[in-house]
Amino acid sequence: MIQLHNVSMSYQAESPALNDVNLKIPKGDFVFLTGPSGAGKSTLLKLLYAELTPTRGQVLIDGVNLSRLPRSQIPFLRRSIGVVFQDYKLLPNRTVLENVAITLEVLGWGKRDIGKKVFHILKQMGLEEKINATPLRLSGGEQQRVALARALVNDPKILIADEPTGNLDDDNKEQILSVFKEANIRGTTVVVATHDKRVIVNSHRRVIRLEKGRLLEVSDVQG
Amino acid sequence: MSKAKQAFRPKLAQEGFLGRLSFFTARALANLRQNVFVSIVTVGTISLALLIAALFLLVYVNLEGMAEGWSDKVQVTAYFDREPTPLAVAALKGRVNQIPGTSKAVFVTQVEAEKRLRGRLKGQESLLEGITPEVLPASLEISLDRKHRDSAAVASYVAALKQIQGVSEVQYGEEWVKRFNSFMNLFRLMGSLLGGFLVIAVLFIVSNTIKLTIYARKDELELLGLVGATRFFIKAPFLIEGVLQGALGAVFALVALLACYFAFLKNAANFLGVNPAAAGLSFLPVPHLAAILVGGVLLGFIGSATSLKRFINI
Repeated sequence: MIQLHNVSMSYQAESPALNDVNLKIPKGDFVFLTGPSGAGKSTLLKLLYAELTPTRGQVLIDGVNLSRLPRSQIPFLRRSIGVVFQDYKLLPNRTVLENVAITLEVLGWGKRDIGKKVFHILKQMGLEEKINATPLRLSGGEQQRVALARALVNDPKILIADEPTGNLDDDNKEQILSVFKEANIRGTTVVVATHDKRVIVNSHRRVIRLEKGRLLEVSDVQG
Repeated sequence: MSKAKQAFRPKLAQEGFLGRLSFFTARALANLRQNVFVSIVTVGTISLALLIAALFLLVYVNLEGMAEGWSDKVQVTAYFDREPTPLAVAALKGRVNQIPGTSKAVFVTQVEAEKRLRGRLKGQESLLEGITPEVLPASLEISLDRKHRDSAAVASYVAALKQIQGVSEVQYGEEWVKRFNSFMNLFRLMGSLLGGFLVIAVLFIVSNTIKLTIYARKDELELLGLVGATRFFIKAPFLIEGVLQGALGAVFALVALLACYFAFLKNAANFLGVNPAAAGLSFLPVPHLAAILVGGVLLGFIGSATSLKRFINI
């Protein structure tokens, strides 16, 4: 369960990126976070994986107040959250296998188990042929899928994606969305920030709309 | 998350101290391989910086060795009113040897003193006509050990020597000792100053190079933090990498120093037409070499540790 209570967030000397946001996302839910650029979508996501701390209010993940979470505990929180970053954040000098394996290395897994698990997820993503390629040799869609594989490889409780379909063609968008849905079926709570209306409409999921840092509406979209 | 997944327990690679160490070392070696150019730049910088410091140390150690050699000339001579009997000489030597700082005491008889004088005035023997050994006093020539060669120690030694019965006069080249000691103090001060500046420069250059190389990999540091790596997990491979680079840099610096040493000696012999061994330029002693190696390792470790602080924000 993700809960935000009166959350405000200001960057220095700027108008607030988030303003008094109250939100509840139940366990196992799949929600879209939408709104124009600068609405505060990315800021809200960063609060969820404790990259930012709110200026005011509280963020709770499974009852844990992130503002009170000691810094030393943040890594353990992040291990239960898979994040697909807007800019992918793939390491250019490491292979696809190594990029995805990072998540499991951090958990202390052995080489053999990492190899098996990473191969399995890359196969699911249709990337088994690219296992030894470096990200720079991949297309945008493939890079996005590698980032998704890295986020999902340890079966996180929560999956967060920031504009995951931004630069993709329709086929790739479909593929990515189906991966989100599969993860959600397996019990992962999915939060996707996007301003792609077609993606939202076709998904039939709950939509949280942000504008100028304020939560405008929480609605179910019918396709 | 399904029950089947929860039940799956992967074999952990980092269990126990050795497991962790081998994992992080493997990661550090992989990083070195994946960032060959950056690693070469870092190792090269550490090598050059340490080579400069080592060359300075080599010159300093040799100059100090030479100066220490000159201090052997610090000698105290005690003159006697009358030549003591051989039995008394033994007793006098015993008393002199009891004074702290005595390294060696040689008795010079009146006859021997006259012989020396004649030797020095060879060709001008006429000057010595009518001079008998009785004119010259018998003496005890005393060498001091290294710890008792500065002005204050020599002065207190002389005071103790004058207490011995029969000693009429003590000479020790007071002016020379003073000058020599002030030269040595100046030399050490200059050496410490230059060495200090050199160490600061080396620290500055190496720490900035490491900072730049870590800056080049700040995305990796950021990502590791975002996927749930602890500070230790992020830092350990970088620190091991720093240690390896430092050690490698130090080894290269020592090899280069050895090469410079032999090349210099050869050239010095050619230029000066002297036997290089006679010049007394010696290679750095083992403790100094070990210090350079440890210095390299510490440079790599501390350089990495301070640079990492800036880029890890968890």
